[in-house]
Amino acid sequence: MAPDLHGRIGGVMRILVFIPAWNEEGTVGEVIAGVRERLPDADILVVDDGSTDRTAVAARKAGALVASLPFNQGLGAALQTGYLYALRQGYDLCAHLDADGQHPPAEVARLIDEVRADRADLVIGSRYRDPGQAESDDYQPTFSRRIGTSVFRFFLTLATRQRFTDTTSGMRAANRRVMELFSVNYSPDFAEIESLQLAVREGLRVEEVPVRMLERVGGSSFLTPLRSAFFIFKGLIVLLVGQFRPSRSAEAER
Amino acid sequence: MNLWLAVASDKPAVHLTAQTRIIAAVIALGFMGMILELIRRNSLQERYSIVWFVAGLAMLVGAAFPGLLTFAADVMGVRDTNVALFSIILLLLLGLALNFSVIMSRQAAQITRLAQERAIEKAREQAATGNGGSAPARTEEPPTQAPRRH
Repeated sequence: MAPDLHGRIGGVMRILVFIPAWNEEGTVGEVIAGVRERLPDADILVVDDGSTDRTAVAARKAGALVASLPFNQGLGAALQTGYLYALRQGYDLCAHLDADGQHPPAEVARLIDEVRADRADLVIGSRYRDPGQAESDDYQPTFSRRIGTSVFRFFLTLATRQRFTDTTSGMRAANRRVMELFSVNYSPDFAEIESLQLAVREGLRVEEVPVRMLERVGGSSFLTPLRSAFFIFKGLIVLLVGQFRPSRSAEAER
Repeated sequence: MNLWLAVASDKPAVHLTAQTRIIAAVIALGFMGMILELIRRNSLQERYSIVWFVAGLAMLVGAAFPGLLTFAADVMGVRDTNVALFSIILLLLLGLALNFSVIMSRQAAQITRLAQERAIEKAREQAATGNGGSAPARTEEPPTQAPRRH
């Protein structure tokens, strides 16, 4: 195994970029190529979340490692697989981005730089450039998404006492402390938002970096108004329960 | 003043009939027999059978000693023993259903972890054969001539 973050003497940091993908055969190859171009030193892992199309084949063809879950487990479980792999294989840093082409690999590189410079443990790419302003030139969120975003933004800020603008962003970079936390503790149901709350509660440094995002190239958003309402409701419950969960670091101190 | 209440409280308490008790006892015995049979056929694990056995026994005891039920009804402030019986059963079933949800959640988490472990193991194998993923500039293992399979 590779030496850990602090035990190293010189040398390059090992970086894993992982891409959760569920039926994204049309775009995953392109995303892999983009990451390879921007981050030539990083290893690339596609977490194939039980796809029924040829996502895994496309990913292998593009030269990525593939971790195939035997059945669809949801985004949270797929992301956790990536964190677990990064932890076990001794990577110093890891980052993930969506497989649908919304996340420009150049922006992922910027997130990684933040973690590499040790300015934060977990860095989130926020699609809202200017906090408080919900639109940007490239990214036009739908109405229901905008409502959901503001609700989560409000409650997560309340829960963590830290300002977050993009709570559901799937573009993140993290170091080993985050890998250790997320590989054990990651809600399969509401990964994005609960993970932020968890990281802040565990005393990790979480930072948002404004990034540019594109309209999705393939696939369609899973959000319909009814689903959005359910999504928001679920998210609020998760946040509420999360506030009363015992903290791991607090337990360790006892 | 309140005529309905006055009349109601004069009504005698409703007890289980002998017929009900016999039917209940027969059902309880049949139920426990069925559980034994399920265990024998490996369709039910012992650890999940205990709770059902207790339920069957409780049913039998209730049928044999109706005084217990009457007592429970008195404690609950219910005049009709049958209503008390239904309420108790309903609550027990609610508890059981919740218990199943807890077990289900635990097993779902276990299944997820199992799937993740398998996926990671596969990716590790792939990484070990140098068949993709690694940045071209750096190779930890000497590149083996494993054929790219696709």
